[in-house]
Order: sequence, then C-alpha cells, then structure tokens
Amino acid sequence: MQFEWTEEQDAFRYKIRDFLHANLPDDWEKFSEHGPASPALTAFAREFCVKLADAGILFPHWPREMGGEGLGPWEQQILAEEMWIAGEPRGGQYMNVNWIGPTLEKYGTPEQKARYLEPITKGQSLWCQGFSEPDAGSDLAALRTRAELKDGNYVINGQKIWTSYAGLADTCFLLTRTSDDRKRGITIILVPMDTPGITVRQIPSLIGEGDIHEVFFDDVTVPESARFGDEGQAWEIVGYSLRNERLGIPRFRLARAALDRAVQMLKDAGEFDSEYVKIEAARCAALCEAAGTANYAVVQRRVDGLVIGAESSSARYATVMAERVVCEFVVEFVPEGLAGASPYLKMHHQRGIVAGVAAGSAEIQLNIIASEVLELPREPR
Amino acid sequence: MQLSLNEDQTQVLDFIDSLAKPFATVPMHDVSLALESAELDEALVENGFLDVMAVEELGPVTAALVVEKLARLPFAIEAAASAMVRPLIDPELPRPLCLVEEGKTRKPLRFLRPGATVVVVGPSGVKSFAATEEMIAPAQEDTLYGYPVAFLTSLPESMTAHDVDPAEITRAWRVGMAAEAAGLLGGALDSTVTYVCERKQFGRPLATFQGMRHRLAEDQVMTNSVYWIAMRAAGTGDAGDAAMALLHAQEAAKRVCYDYHQFLGGMGMTLEHPLHLWTYRLKLLTAELGGRGAQGLAAAEALWG
Repeated sequence: MQFEWTEEQDAFRYKIRDFLHANLPDDWEKFSEHGPASPALTAFAREFCVKLADAGILFPHWPREMGGEGLGPWEQQILAEEMWIAGEPRGGQYMNVNWIGPTLEKYGTPEQKARYLEPITKGQSLWCQGFSEPDAGSDLAALRTRAELKDGNYVINGQKIWTSYAGLADTCFLLTRTSDDRKRGITIILVPMDTPGITVRQIPSLIGEGDIHEVFFDDVTVPESARFGDEGQAWEIVGYSLRNERLGIPRFRLARAALDRAVQMLKDAGEFDSEYVKIEAARCAALCEAAGTANYAVVQRRVDGLVIGAESSSARYATVMAERVVCEFVVEFVPEGLAGASPYLKMHHQRGIVAGVAAGSAEIQLNIIASEVLELPREPR
Repeated sequence: MQLSLNEDQTQVLDFIDSLAKPFATVPMHDVSLALESAELDEALVENGFLDVMAVEELGPVTAALVVEKLARLPFAIEAAASAMVRPLIDPELPRPLCLVEEGKTRKPLRFLRPGATVVVVGPSGVKSFAATEEMIAPAQEDTLYGYPVAFLTSLPESMTAHDVDPAEITRAWRVGMAAEAAGLLGGALDSTVTYVCERKQFGRPLATFQGMRHRLAEDQVMTNSVYWIAMRAAGTGDAGDAAMALLHAQEAAKRVCYDYHQFLGGMGMTLEHPLHLWTYRLKLLTAELGGRGAQGLAAAEALWG
C-alpha cells in the first residue's frame, strides 16, 4: 500500500488545473452557481468541452481504440476530481465521458456507435437518463413506460421524472418496459429528444435550475434500430453503467474544498477561534478524507481489474455522510454563504444535498451493504 | 497511489493468521474481563511481527496492518505502541510500552505492570522509565475495560530523556491507536454480525429486520472508512492525517459500541459473549490522547493553522 500520487499523476492533475485556470472565465465561480443543467451552463459546456477535447482531456481515460489515451482509473479519478471541485464546467457532458461512451462501446450496434460516439468525443452532445418514474424511484424495476414493437418501430408511452438535463438534451437513454417480467422485461431505447410526442416540463427545485423534469412520452415512435442491447437486457447494462456512475462523482473532494472555503471565511471574520467550531470542522474533514480513501480503495479494484461490488456502496455511503456534515457545518457557522456571500458554498450545497438521493438512494446502498458486504440474511418479502 | 496489499504484506498477514489461529476464539468457559496470552505475545515477538516498521520493504503501513490484524483477536496485545512508536524512540525499550501524556498520569494505563516501560510524552520532551511495583496501584479487580489496566501512583526522580520530537511521537501514537481501533471495530462488527444472523425472534433472524440492517450497514461504513484513513495516516506520516484518523476512529467507536450492545440485547450484557472484549477496549480508546476534542483541535491546527 502506498498513499502518494506518482509524479506522472501529479503532473496530470496540474495539467488539468492549468487548463482550467487558463480557460475558465474570471467570473466563473459566480457563473457556476447556475447549476450544471442550466441553459447558461449547458451552453458554456458546449464550448468548453470542445476546448477540452482539443487539449486531449475530455476522455483521456477511454481506451485507444475509442480514441482516448488509454489512461488508467487513477487518471480518470483525478480528472473527475478536478472538474467537480471546479464546479463541473462540463455540465451534463460529464455523463457522456464517464459512462455513456463506455456503455455505447460495450453494448452498442456499429450504427449506434457511429452515430453517437463522435459527437461525444467532440464535446457536442448532451444526454439525459430516462430512468426514474413517479412510481419507480428506488424501486426502479417497477417502471411502467411501455415500448411496443409495431411494424418495425417501437411506440413508447409513459412518463419519466427527475430526468436531469431533459430540457436541453439531444438524446435520452431511456428505460422502457417491453414485457411484464419485472427486471427481464426492461429494454433500453435511445430516443432523440426532438421526436414528436415528447413533452418536457421543468420542475422548480432546491438543487438548481434545469435539474429536475417530468418527461411525457405520447405515442413516441422510433425505429427498432434505436433499441440498445437486446430486449430485456437493460438491467444488466444499467448495472454496468451505474458501477461507473457510482464512483463517477468524487463528491468528497468538493465537500472538502467547500469546508476549506467555509473555514477561510470564518478565519477572515475572526470567528475560527472557538474550539467547538474547530472540532466540528475537523470532524467534517475527517469524514471527507475517510470517505475519499474508502473510494480510492474501490478505484484500486478497477486498477487491479477486479469486479466492483458492494464495497462501492460502502464508499458511496461514506461520501453521503461527509456531504451531510459539511452542508450542515456551512449552514450552522457560515449561513451567509448560501445567501450571496459565497457562490461556491451555495454551489456545493445544491450539489451536496442530493448526494444521498441521486444515482441510487443511500438507503438502497445500506440494503446492498447489509446483504452483500455483511452477508446478512435478506428481509422476507 | 497503490492501495492493494503487496506480496510482503500479504505474507506477513497470512503468517499472523496461522500463528494466531489458536487465539481466534475465547477459550471455552472463559469469562475474563480482560483476556491476555503470554504465549501469543511471545510468539509475536519471536517472529519479529512487532518490529516490521524498521524493515525497509515493510515500513509503517505494514506495522499498522499488523496492529489492525492483532486487534481483531479477543486477546489483548500490546502491539500499537511497540510496533509503531517504539521504533521512533528506541527499538530496544522493554515491552510492554505504556504511553502517557505529560501531566495526565491519573488515567488508567493499559498494560501497566512492573517491568513495563512507561513513556511520558509532552511539551518538555519524551522521557521513559521502567515501572516498578511501588509506583503502580492496581485498578479495581472487576474493571470493565477489556485491557489489563493499572494506575501510576508516582513518577521516578529521574527518567531517560530521548532525543526525539514529541510531536512526531504523538503523531505515531495517534496512528497506532487508529490502527488498533480499526481492528477492534472489525472484530466487534464480525462478532455482532454472527450473533444477529443466528439469533431468532418473531420466527426469523434478527439480521432480517431493517431497523437493525441499516444501522449495521452504517457501522460497516464507519469501520471500513476508519481502516482506510488509519492506513493512509500510517502511509503519509502526516500530522493532520494522523489526528483525523484517530478522531474518526474515536467517533466510530462511540457510535458502534452503543449499537452492538443494543443488538445483542441481554446477551451483550453477559461475559458469556465476547463482544465486550472489543467494545470495552474501544471505549477506553475513546479516552486516549485527550479524546475526540483533542484530536479535533490537533487536526484543525494541522489543516488550517
């Protein structure tokens, strides 16, 4: 075991930092308050991701056969950390390079790869994830949006909810029901968002503009070739994707950066002398760093080519704990931060409060840990 | 960054596993409050497991791994101070080692006995002496802490001064305690999980009730993250990492000790179940080095000045 970055890894991190420093506008911190799914940031990301692509740091972790540089999981981690603590200037395109691209490569038809991969590599596409429904949140397999195959086309009817980025996305990675077999009856369809019959309605939210939507599908018709994988293969494919997604966002790093900002504000105000405040701040830092190292242990499994199992749920829950205490610390000791005094702290808060809900709720992670890490007998159903 | 065990570390841990096998469970009918084994202690010393830190290809992370592994056993072993602090002071100091903060000698001292080396760490430096019968008062016989403990009643007029930085010794002390707590947390979790999987109420194992599953899962998250931050603190040698590691370990200890005795119900109140051997050691470790508040202040100082 060795806990230091190599010189090459440090150099990679500084390359990204230098790039961000040179390419983010002076008012970026205020600007990033718009939230990653907002129209303003989405438009910004369309230009910024082109620059990232030109500099070779949009998808350097992709294998060479996909046009990447074949850098390893540690470099992917470093890239994700630097982008996330900078306020995620890639907007929703982070999903493209984290899991949509690799999932397309693994399961897509040659036509799908040809159609969708190139825009991703050029920083020009935005996807949304049509997973959750009003009655299928944590219980995702209860989803009911139907796709019926008629004369070589899928006709889709139903409703999705949450659906970050839906308002501006060009394509939806949509989960549909093609048979009543619970998990094996779910099929993925890649649906262009300008297909007639799709209605998107934004839901005002605590976590920023453009993040939560309702999406209605009324007789939305796409060719059979839009199906991704086989009928009924969605559960397997989503499992593969989410394993990338669960590690994808290094929230613990932003939480720690926000904590450092909050402490600096307290010091500037001459209010960091209280022992109680110092101890509370240290508790937050310890949770962030403990979560970070637990996450790194999961990255190591990727490096070693091992299957990533339930230990990723444990690391993710540790991150949720860290996010919670940092959000609470800021509100308790630096409340002005969320009311205009620090765009960075507000940006963190709006991303931080969602840590235990997005990409699989914290309680589901606890269920997974109980059954698969601790190997407790399951609850009767 | 390389977080998997290297070949040497795997070998060391496998060797300890086979050596400690006869000590992996509490002897039948034993209801000791503090369980020790001179035989196990001797075997560990003979095989050099408490001296791995000085071996170049092993170092402090391997020492922390050894301490963590040994703390999972129901037998109390004075390993953390010997394996992780002694090499920085004087590798020849006789064991057991009892670390004490200058001016805070009123607390029960773990492993204190005649012949033990007491190391006093504080602003005036790092000093040590060999404890003799006259300076020791036994603790109450039915003291609950799963370690053998005693009190220092006096200090000798002269002590051996060591030319080492007390801050560096305190750092290593914190890492050793965090590694020991990580192992105790692991041992307590295993013991509790086994019980709640076997014990049935309302016709089904306790472990099938979500009220318990979620708390146990949270306890696993804390246990796992204490392990990793303790190993990291051993690896980086950073003062902030060390303070955060022990702070996080002490936070975890407070939480899980309560949970686990709740989950075991009446059985957790008896000495027939070994849970107390891990939890009461953890409870005593929450008082180590001034407890969470002192660790928090030390971490804040290291991180933010």
